[in-house]
Amino acid sequence: MNTMEPAASPAARFPGWLRIAVIGRNPKRTAIRALVLALFCFVFFKFFVFRFIVLPVRIEGYSMFPTYRDRGINFVYRLAYLHSPPQRGDVVGIRMAGPSVMLMKRIVGMPGETVAFEHGRLIINGEEMPEPYMKNHSPALYTPPVKLGSDEYYVIGDNRMNSEQGHINRDRIVGKVVL
Amino acid sequence: MKRATQIVLVLAIIGLAIWGWMALHPSPEKVIRSRLNDLAKTLSFKSGSGALARAYNAQKASEFFTPDVEIEVNLTGLEPVSLHGRDEVMRIAMAARSHLTSLKVEFPDMNVTIDPGGQSAKVNLTGKATMPGQKDISAQEFNFNLKKVDGKWLIYHIETVRTLSSLAVELTAQST
Repeated sequence: MNTMEPAASPAARFPGWLRIAVIGRNPKRTAIRALVLALFCFVFFKFFVFRFIVLPVRIEGYSMFPTYRDRGINFVYRLAYLHSPPQRGDVVGIRMAGPSVMLMKRIVGMPGETVAFEHGRLIINGEEMPEPYMKNHSPALYTPPVKLGSDEYYVIGDNRMNSEQGHINRDRIVGKVVL
Repeated sequence: MKRATQIVLVLAIIGLAIWGWMALHPSPEKVIRSRLNDLAKTLSFKSGSGALARAYNAQKASEFFTPDVEIEVNLTGLEPVSLHGRDEVMRIAMAARSHLTSLKVEFPDMNVTIDPGGQSAKVNLTGKATMPGQKDISAQEFNFNLKKVDGKWLIYHIETVRTLSSLAVELTAQST
């Protein structure tokens, strides 16, 4: 007597407990749950995480070269300075009218300090300040001393000869560039 | 159940009424935002647009300004430029259109402050321009001053803002 058995479905090949663990007892309901979860994650990341916590940014230009390259993707962490002030050496995102377009610069001068550049070396309050993050100095860079206010930071790109520089108020700093 | 349906229906009608009211009576801030977005669209043009369309758009762009508009452009590394009057704005718009094959202008961030009288406003915004053959975007912060003329918000003064307000522009990279 010939007997015919239905072909085992791919899911049936797995042990029962594994199938339940992966796709649940009711695959249709699991699919709906997964869809809802994916939608929630999308909304959560797009409208909350990527707006209020970390801003994904695409770097345009060479002012931070070679530390950051043109067209690179990076993140600005907005909560970095919630409990502590920005530090010298931090690379920060500086807003224009808003955070849609930002300048990316490194903080070299802290509030109250007098900042200058001589032979490409950073001079703070008349003394040379080592810059371990700099891969090569441009000896041609000179700037007159600038006295910073109580809420001002001096910023400049790592590509010293191809970067705008100047002082900014604390409220212009959107966050710290991470990664 | 019937009561719940009624409540939902009433809430939906109230919501629709509020939305309708807001759409018909937008706040001055919303009107200004929308007007500046229109200006950005008018200033933008694609390659292949005809000379007539370009001239029409340049003429249309000038209508966003008062006849005595003043524009002060002070960019790092460039000589400061001042434009006076709507005709000069139109001339520059036409010149841009003849020199570039396409241009996309956007104002991604706008901070609108309406003066107490409600007849003038200041807008701090970022202007972003993308040009053909140029990988990088050009971005600049501006202050726009607008006033209400015959019910229309017109720009009467524009100035560039230096994001890095500093002596930076005065510094010189001296070669040794």
